[in-house]
Amino acid sequence: MKLPATSSSKAPVKFRMPTADNLVPIRLDIETEGQRYKDAFTWNPSDPDSEVVVFAKRTVRDLKLPPQFITQIAQSIQTQLTEFRSYEGQDMYTAEKIVPIKLDLRVNHTLIKDHFLWDLNNYESDPEEFARTFCNDMGIEDPEVGPAVAFAIREQLYEIAIQSVASAREIKISKKGRRGAEHAISSKGGGNALDLMKLFRYNSSVVRKRKEWYVYEPIVDILSNEEVDALEAREDRNTR
Amino acid sequence: MAAKSPVKEPPGTSAVNPTTPLAPPPVKPELPSSSEPDVVNVPSYSRWFSFDSISECEVKFLPEFFDSRSPSKNPRVYRYYRDSIVKHYRENPSRKITFTDVRRTLVGDVGSIRRVFDFLETWGLINYFASVKTLKWEDKETKSSAASAESSSALKETSKRLCNGCKTLCTIACFACDKYDLTLCARCYVRGNHRVGVSSSDFRRVEISEEARSDWTEKETLQLLEAIMHFGDDWRKVAQHVSGKSEKDCITHFIKLPFGQEFICKESDSEDVDNKFFSINNPSDAVSESENVGATSPSKRMRLTPLADASNPIMAQAAFLSALAGVEIAEVAARAAVTTLSDVDDRASKGSLMRNTRQQEAGVASNGDATQNALARASVDASSLIEKEELDVEKAISGIVEVQMKEIQDKIIRFESLDLQMEEEWKQLEQVKNLLFVDQLSVLFHKSNARKNGDRTEENVKTDVS
Repeated sequence: MKLPATSSSKAPVKFRMPTADNLVPIRLDIETEGQRYKDAFTWNPSDPDSEVVVFAKRTVRDLKLPPQFITQIAQSIQTQLTEFRSYEGQDMYTAEKIVPIKLDLRVNHTLIKDHFLWDLNNYESDPEEFARTFCNDMGIEDPEVGPAVAFAIREQLYEIAIQSVASAREIKISKKGRRGAEHAISSKGGGNALDLMKLFRYNSSVVRKRKEWYVYEPIVDILSNEEVDALEAREDRNTR
Repeated sequence: MAAKSPVKEPPGTSAVNPTTPLAPPPVKPELPSSSEPDVVNVPSYSRWFSFDSISECEVKFLPEFFDSRSPSKNPRVYRYYRDSIVKHYRENPSRKITFTDVRRTLVGDVGSIRRVFDFLETWGLINYFASVKTLKWEDKETKSSAASAESSSALKETSKRLCNGCKTLCTIACFACDKYDLTLCARCYVRGNHRVGVSSSDFRRVEISEEARSDWTEKETLQLLEAIMHFGDDWRKVAQHVSGKSEKDCITHFIKLPFGQEFICKESDSEDVDNKFFSINNPSDAVSESENVGATSPSKRMRLTPLADASNPIMAQAAFLSALAGVEIAEVAARAAVTTLSDVDDRASKGSLMRNTRQQEAGVASNGDATQNALARASVDASSLIEKEELDVEKAISGIVEVQMKEIQDKIIRFESLDLQMEEEWKQLEQVKNLLFVDQLSVLFHKSNARKNGDRTEENVKTDVS
């Protein structure tokens, strides 16, 4: 079954997260007076803005951080929210894209590496559900892993959505018409669309080749304390 | 997670188990939770909570999950949040969990998680310790009492006294302990928020009357009454009409007026009045509750446990307000409540209740302890009634036991007599046997003689036989 590339690019859709619920991934990394606060969570952009301050106060109180953090946290969240909202009015082109999502994260003592494909056009998709099932299936005991996985997926989807907005803008700008559209799509993250083409060509099967299995297999590692410390030290060095 | 939990409740009865430990509420408010590992304390106003279902209380307070406006917020997700938060807390009930702990472990958006967490916390399903001040009503109370406080002077001689427990100004009434030189505001006294060695009965009530500050002249009282007749419940207008008195003063003075006005209480604007009237209505509920529970013993220390119970907000409210309002009002209200209650029962118990109330009052008065109030007396009456019933039951049981014993004794006597009869018959039988043996012997003897003596023996036998 051949899918022509031109007809696969649909009419532009209003920007939104390509998931069932329109939640924004928020990442916080604030450093004040020698104390560093790193966090990542999902936020519902339809919550009122007062919620931001409430959340900031709550977090500072719970984690016993110094009060300067309140304003910083609130500001950081607000910036990310406004950024998200700025994309909201715009169009994005969503070709029939199945994108690869890579997970490579460490949560406390659990190291997770995974690589799978995600359908960007499926607006019913739910990273939270995926994360829950993933943790259940892999028998992960640390309850903090679920949200981290969901967040990682969401973040990547968000990035891709932003890219597609940018590409939609470029298409509008470029005067080259259809040819240009195809070119633009294929150049910006459209490499994945090509994958799709390759995969579903009439003479190839849907079943993955055995030699590629190891790429797509999830790996869950439980680290010991020393390994955790070593990894943390390396991460700190990288970020500084 | 449930497998690791040491406070796991048996499934299926989870609706019942969390609340049964609370039917007699924890007496010592200093202990955060019970020492048994299988018991979790849940306040009685959260009795509806169950892992298996969603109650309408939850639907009301968290409508976002139930109005299907957003596809990811559905009851299933709500239950997932709620159950995981509660289980997380119950793994270690003596430790307070924070929202941040919880939200890191839950998959979902932090706004809704925070709302569920706050809901569970206000309803005492998590982070529930007897000494934690998280109840909404009590917060309102502290605000209103703090708002009415004036300048802060720490001298004991003046009418403004600072409480040793919570360092707030004491208004209206406070409790002083001369033994240890402590002063507690009504709230701390009710909560038992004093040092461990001090018992509630060591305190006496010291009234800080607002009337001492501002006397009500006849003219002002008249104005007040006029204003009330005109404006009814609008205390602002009443205060305006009465020159020189604030709203609060008007209301308090009105309540203290010596008619039966305190019982005619329906709507009113200010919170304060609501609460005062609520306290009058409430002791009736409180008394019925205490009668139903009936767990207090008549010892002097235990008499004040209804006051010291701060975990049930209704009871704490009633106790606090009755402590504030003074002995007379609370006494009158409780007496009214008690009479109403006893009308429901039959006349005999009503009479005895009244008698007991009077006896108890006499007993209390003779103790000279000014901190007794009608609530405590009513509970003492209830406990004495219960004792009487217990005695009756005991008597009845002992009567039954006696009767049974008598029956058994009679049976024993009969059997003995039967035994005697048997023995006698046995003896008779023996005798007859002996006689028979003798006869047989004699027959044989004669037989042998007869053979020697021919006919004579035959004749003898014949005569013997006949």
